[in-house]
Amino acid sequence: MEKMHLPSDFLPIFIQLGLALGFIITTMLVTHSIGPKRNSKLKDEAFECGIPAEGDARTPISVKYFLIAILFVLFDVEVIFMYPWAVNFKSLGWAGFVEMLLFMGLLLAGFYYVIRKGVLKWE
Amino acid sequence: MNLLSLLIFLPLFGAALVLFLPASQTKYFKWITLGFCAVELLAAAVVYHYFDLSNPSFQFVEQTDWITLSLGSLGAVSIDYLLGIDGISLPLVLLTGVVMLVGAVSSWQITSRQRAYFSLYLLLTASIMGCFLALDFFLFFLFFEFMLLPMYFLIGLWGGPRREYAAIKFFLYTLLGSVLILVVMIALYLSAFDPYSSLNAQTIVHTFDLRYLADGHNYLPNSLLNGLSAHQIMGLDARLFLFLVLFAGFAIKLPVVPFHTWLPDAHVEAPTPVSVVLAGVLLKIGGYGFIRIAYNIFPDAAAEYATLLGILGMVSIVYGGFNALAQSDLKKMIAYSSVSHMGFVLLGVASLTPEGLNGAVYQMVSHGVLSAMLFVVTGVLYDRTQNRQIEAYRGLAKPMPAYTTLTAICFFASLGLPGFSGFVGELFTLMGGFQSEFMPKWIATASTLGIVLAAAYFLWTLQRMFFGPLWTQKGVESLLADLTPREKIMLLPLAALTLVLGLFPHFIFDITSATITEFLKKFSLN
Amino acid sequence: MLPIVLLSVFGIVVLFLGFSKSKNILLPATLLFLLVTLIANFVDWNHQYLYFNDMLWGNNASMVFSGIVLLSAFFVVALTRGFEQEGEAAQPAEYYGIMLFSLVGAIMMISYENLIILFVGVEILSVSIYILTGSDKRNLRSNEAALKYFLMGAFATGIMLFGMALMYGATGSFVISDISEIIGTRAWNEQSQLLYAGLLMLLVGLLFKVSAAPFHFWTPDVYDGAPTIFTAYMSTIVKTAGFAALYRLLAGSLASLQDYWFATLATITVLTLLAGNVTAVYQTSFKRMLAYSSISHAGYLLIALTSLTAKSQSSILFYSLAYSLSTVSAFGVLILVSQQQASNNYDAFNGLAKKNPFLAFVLAVSMLSLAGIPLTAGFMGKLFVFTDAAQKGTIWLLVVAILASAIGIYYYFRVLIAAYFKEGDLATIRIAPFYKVVLIIVTTLTIVLGLFPDLVLQLV
Repeated sequence: MEKMHLPSDFLPIFIQLGLALGFIITTMLVTHSIGPKRNSKLKDEAFECGIPAEGDARTPISVKYFLIAILFVLFDVEVIFMYPWAVNFKSLGWAGFVEMLLFMGLLLAGFYYVIRKGVLKWE
Repeated sequence: MNLLSLLIFLPLFGAALVLFLPASQTKYFKWITLGFCAVELLAAAVVYHYFDLSNPSFQFVEQTDWITLSLGSLGAVSIDYLLGIDGISLPLVLLTGVVMLVGAVSSWQITSRQRAYFSLYLLLTASIMGCFLALDFFLFFLFFEFMLLPMYFLIGLWGGPRREYAAIKFFLYTLLGSVLILVVMIALYLSAFDPYSSLNAQTIVHTFDLRYLADGHNYLPNSLLNGLSAHQIMGLDARLFLFLVLFAGFAIKLPVVPFHTWLPDAHVEAPTPVSVVLAGVLLKIGGYGFIRIAYNIFPDAAAEYATLLGILGMVSIVYGGFNALAQSDLKKMIAYSSVSHMGFVLLGVASLTPEGLNGAVYQMVSHGVLSAMLFVVTGVLYDRTQNRQIEAYRGLAKPMPAYTTLTAICFFASLGLPGFSGFVGELFTLMGGFQSEFMPKWIATASTLGIVLAAAYFLWTLQRMFFGPLWTQKGVESLLADLTPREKIMLLPLAALTLVLGLFPHFIFDITSATITEFLKKFSLN
Repeated sequence: MLPIVLLSVFGIVVLFLGFSKSKNILLPATLLFLLVTLIANFVDWNHQYLYFNDMLWGNNASMVFSGIVLLSAFFVVALTRGFEQEGEAAQPAEYYGIMLFSLVGAIMMISYENLIILFVGVEILSVSIYILTGSDKRNLRSNEAALKYFLMGAFATGIMLFGMALMYGATGSFVISDISEIIGTRAWNEQSQLLYAGLLMLLVGLLFKVSAAPFHFWTPDVYDGAPTIFTAYMSTIVKTAGFAALYRLLAGSLASLQDYWFATLATITVLTLLAGNVTAVYQTSFKRMLAYSSISHAGYLLIALTSLTAKSQSSILFYSLAYSLSTVSAFGVLILVSQQQASNNYDAFNGLAKKNPFLAFVLAVSMLSLAGIPLTAGFMGKLFVFTDAAQKGTIWLLVVAILASAIGIYYYFRVLIAAYFKEGDLATIRIAPFYKVVLIIVTTLTIVLGLFPDLVLQLV
């Protein structure tokens, strides 16, 4: 039984709670009450430089693009590791060399996996 | 193996036997159950035979280390498999033997899912026995709470139309009670320690041993429940507060008004044997818990709150009585009469006098026998006609003379006619109430109203259902056959038992008095 | 360190095994790998170790935590027979591989010494779980769940990272033992304000992972939408790892500030207990109920964490183990029943006991353990957790916990009512022998640990 917790110790929490709720409720009420409401068909339409809207804004793109893109980023970032390694090649010695081999090995394993999965096949 | 362990493991073995016998042996299940219950009663009788009546402390004590846990900086806690029996638990163990045997005979009518039924029944027997025999609070709690499970399934699977509701209500109420007990148990074991093991182990060994918990010297200085430390919970002294929590836990089981509402529902929906066990033994665990645990560990708080508890007892007696008077369902009427009769137990315990406590234990035994009989009686009628409404019958004495005689005996015994056991129990608890230094006299005075009410509802029911010209609903008359031999086997010994106990009450008092005299020394110090 | 390396390598191996013609080799291989890792997990037994430039720390307790995670993973993987039959969309090798990788994250969360490792661990675990949640690609609910989990989880880890940065600002270190030392030299009112802000944000991130209220809103939808087997996976592994991480953070570096965070965490505990239990009552789907029940169990675990006594760690450990075991068996039964009935509702269990007494029994033990009825591991877990609260002297927290566990009975028993008391036309469900063995082991463990909890507790 260490320090006793008086109810007043919890006061900051309730003040915080009250403030958070109060802010949301007040904002919602105020915007609803003082904001003007004029609806018309034209206002509800999407604005596209005066030209009538046509089709969906989000055209579906083949998921393959994303795969290629993400794979590019992945290998790109991994190659960055090689720069500091190359700079410190001497001081890292053989241990560093073996570690980099291990790293490259894993990278190539991933690459092989990607090829075997057929991710790069464009058909 | 010790005799007390045998009492617990025998039914467990029976349950396993029923569970693993091939389905082709189904017809023997009830015989197996009956056999195990008979041996159980026999074993209880053997315990009684070797029991030293003059010795107030625990006998047949059996102790094995079970779980030992390190509590880090607080030392360790040891949970033991610890059994023992004294003058308070022995009568109840004997009662359990009798009632479970009667229940087993009454279970003959169960035809569906016999394997499940009889194994659950034996499991229930084991856990009830465990409750009465355990001296380790943790072990007691395990049995206490585990008991709910077989009971839940027994009501839920073989009960009446609203069985699911009744079963879950029963479970929720009693579980709430046992969780309350759990909290007190945790607070207790953190505060108390085992002086001998602690000395040996060079560290503080916390314990659940009820014998150590009952001794105020075994509480760590300045711990939550040390009598000298002034810890407070919600503005109340910690010991008083936790006593009330513990009391509430057992009060649900007893049941004490206002915690009683699960009882009528459970009784109405439960099949006859389960009602017999429920009223016959299960309720007694509440009363037993008061004496063995709540009062034993918190004597100071018990004395402090004697008036409050006495009033609760009185309210149970009177309120239960009035409710019984108002019921149209025979089984519900008996359920409320149980509430009323168990109120006497609380009154007797709360009085803290030798008469009151001896009377309370006696009343528990007496009510165990009588309520078993009452529910068998109800079951007899229900088996024949599937109707328990009091108004549906008139003049049953004509077609069913033997049934009427036995019903009359058990009604008269229940309403407290001198010569039967009910009278002695009520007399002694009331005497305790009058002599108590801890509560005002008007409580006992008001409680006597319960006896009048009992006379009213039992006699009125007897008159309405059994006397006068025969009248029932159409087509039912042909079903009203008199008692079968099996039913006689159940009812006659119970009737004899209530008469014997009523005429020679010292059978029980001889067992209880030494222990209770010792027990009451705790209170005279205060 | 060894389990982390092994799991990473095994994960890659499983991915490549997926190319082989016979898909049947995947499951036994994964199980074997998990078993090897489980054994390798304990090589440092009785040694306190520091690895990876002192960024990983471990002792017996953290090894047991990792053991629980690996064991639950083993059981869950053993129950994965369902997703192999989903046709072309299914990628079993990937699922097994991701599961193995996710365990790397879990173990890092359990035994971090440096907050960066904690972050990396959380990310590895979370990203894997996002994928597994959405693995039922043709199912809209599964997709929704994955996206929801991903978006909210990304926010949570963002906040957590912010918190780490602030703590670094306040103390100048990511190493939790250093943080503890630095905090210890100052009184509580001399601490940098950044520390408090950082602590709160870190807590938000971790509490989100263990689905404590008010950060629990994702839980029901995600648990419901994810394929059942992965629901079982995440509800056991993420919870155990999350609580181990929380304990390590609070006990390892912030114990001296308990007076400060106590009020916050206690409030969250009460909210969690109430939100989980009360909402669970109104569910009609068993799976959704289990989601809310996992929230409520987070609440019980939080009690031990909030109290932070000397025994809290073993309480959390035992409770997580008990909870994981019961959850695995509950989901194991649910998978079989929902395959038969094409529904996750309580009604699907109607009459289960009649033709399938074994499954009904497994379900009963698991529900009783979750509800905390004696003779099951769940009861012992509750007892330890309540003891912690009593030791700390927070009776009011106990009162809430008691009410919560009484409510718990109601909804856990609803499925038992359906299985035992209701009439139904459920036919006999064929159980694969191995599946059955797993259910038997889990159920036995639940009962044995309920009788002899010291079997596990004397390890730590």
